[in-house]
Amino acid sequence: MKTSPKILVIDDDPDFREAITPILRSALYEVITAANSAEGRQKILSEKPDLILLDIMMDSLFDGFSLCQAVKTSPEYADVKSTPIIMISAVKEITGSGFEFKKNEQGMIGPDDYLDKPVKPAVLLARIDKLLKK
Amino acid sequence: MTEQKPLVLIIDDEEAIRDSCTQILLKSGFRTETAEDGAAGLDKIRELGPDLVLIDLKMPGISGFDVLEHLKVISPNVIPIVITGYATVDSAVEAMKRGAYDFLPKPFSPDELRMIIGRALERRRLILEAEALRKEKEVLEGNFITMVSHQLRSPLVAVQQYFEVVLAGAMGPIDGQFKEMILKARDRLDGLLSLINDWLDLARINKGQIVDKFRPLDIQKVLEKLLELMRPVAEESGVALELNRVSGAVLVLGDEQTLEQAFTNLISNAIKYNKRQGRVRISLKGNAASVSVAVEDTGIGIAKEHLPLIFDQFYQVRRDGGGKLKGTGLGLSIVKKIVEAHKGAIDVTSEPGLGSTFIVRLPRP
Repeated sequence: MKTSPKILVIDDDPDFREAITPILRSALYEVITAANSAEGRQKILSEKPDLILLDIMMDSLFDGFSLCQAVKTSPEYADVKSTPIIMISAVKEITGSGFEFKKNEQGMIGPDDYLDKPVKPAVLLARIDKLLKK
Repeated sequence: MTEQKPLVLIIDDEEAIRDSCTQILLKSGFRTETAEDGAAGLDKIRELGPDLVLIDLKMPGISGFDVLEHLKVISPNVIPIVITGYATVDSAVEAMKRGAYDFLPKPFSPDELRMIIGRALERRRLILEAEALRKEKEVLEGNFITMVSHQLRSPLVAVQQYFEVVLAGAMGPIDGQFKEMILKARDRLDGLLSLINDWLDLARINKGQIVDKFRPLDIQKVLEKLLELMRPVAEESGVALELNRVSGAVLVLGDEQTLEQAFTNLISNAIKYNKRQGRVRISLKGNAASVSVAVEDTGIGIAKEHLPLIFDQFYQVRRDGGGKLKGTGLGLSIVKKIVEAHKGAIDVTSEPGLGSTFIVRLPRP
């Protein structure tokens, strides 16, 4: 029997985690959450999620970027480095129209996708589905 | 400042001067380099980045005056001191006008040289410190705006997120008046979020930073890209978007990101205040010095008495019948601020009931 894919939500805003969880569950995903970057890093290794939803600004301005970079490049995460990551942020100029991830520029590796908060449930589920099918 | 000893470059065609300066300065704890003419001096400035340069005014080849002119361009923070062999007041004054920090008339004593160098180094230290502080301040300000933006938006976005989840029916069926009321609440929050965005944009538009990013841009390409992005919104409102293309590139000197924002605001106004089956036409015209972009709509127009005020912050034209205001009242002030940072100009003409035309003039590269 196929088990349902596991999604890790890393966000310091409890309301975001609470709002997003029923949406993911309604699409039959298993949901685990982390309230900060450190907890996120630990759960990525212990839970081995199938996909990560990642906030950008948590303890510091660019927490999410460093975490994403670590997962994709650091040897510590070699086992899970192909886990798709969707970055989600409320700060327009980071994920918004004027901003595009320039891969390999300054050695930064961007996420697999990104979305602005608030996310439309249908859009979120479609993007997750697309990445999981890859 | 670095721990390294300050480097003084001596540019003089007279070997005696180069040697004596070198000896005095080495004894006083400086590092020195020498060049025997202007061209070699400029090469060493580029290559070594000295703290100070001693420049003889009268040299074969590139003169000391020319070295001063070049120095301003290649390394404006290096402090130049000129050595004037023929100690006339005129040449010293001329050298100071061209950016020399001080002058040293030949012959000079070791003490005179040390004193002038000491003063010049203090000056250099202050300049570098001021520069470092200015940069730090810019970074802090940028981060501050980003933090404020995050703090203001986060709670609103969390509320929006709950509405989205409820409206998606994830917490149970939702319909009728219940749904309608949540939709209205969401629209008002949308308005507040746009207001915060616009206000932060206005705070973030910094003339100096825009000018730093200037480069030649094909404005027609920028407009084509924007029209592509905005077409869905226009179609939703039943408004046709047209661009009167011209052949070839239409170059202006500007910052792409802020210009995109300015034209987004103008075009989205032209869509928003249009009538159904209306049209937005964008046309380009240029002369040798500038390019004009006209954004013309077939909308409700603006009465004469309002025209001088529409670029003011928070000024909004109230419609007859007290219809709901659609904007934040900041869109056009943002446009004006961006255009003026580009040394451009914006004009508007309007015929109530027929439409308005906004014309933005931007300088050529």
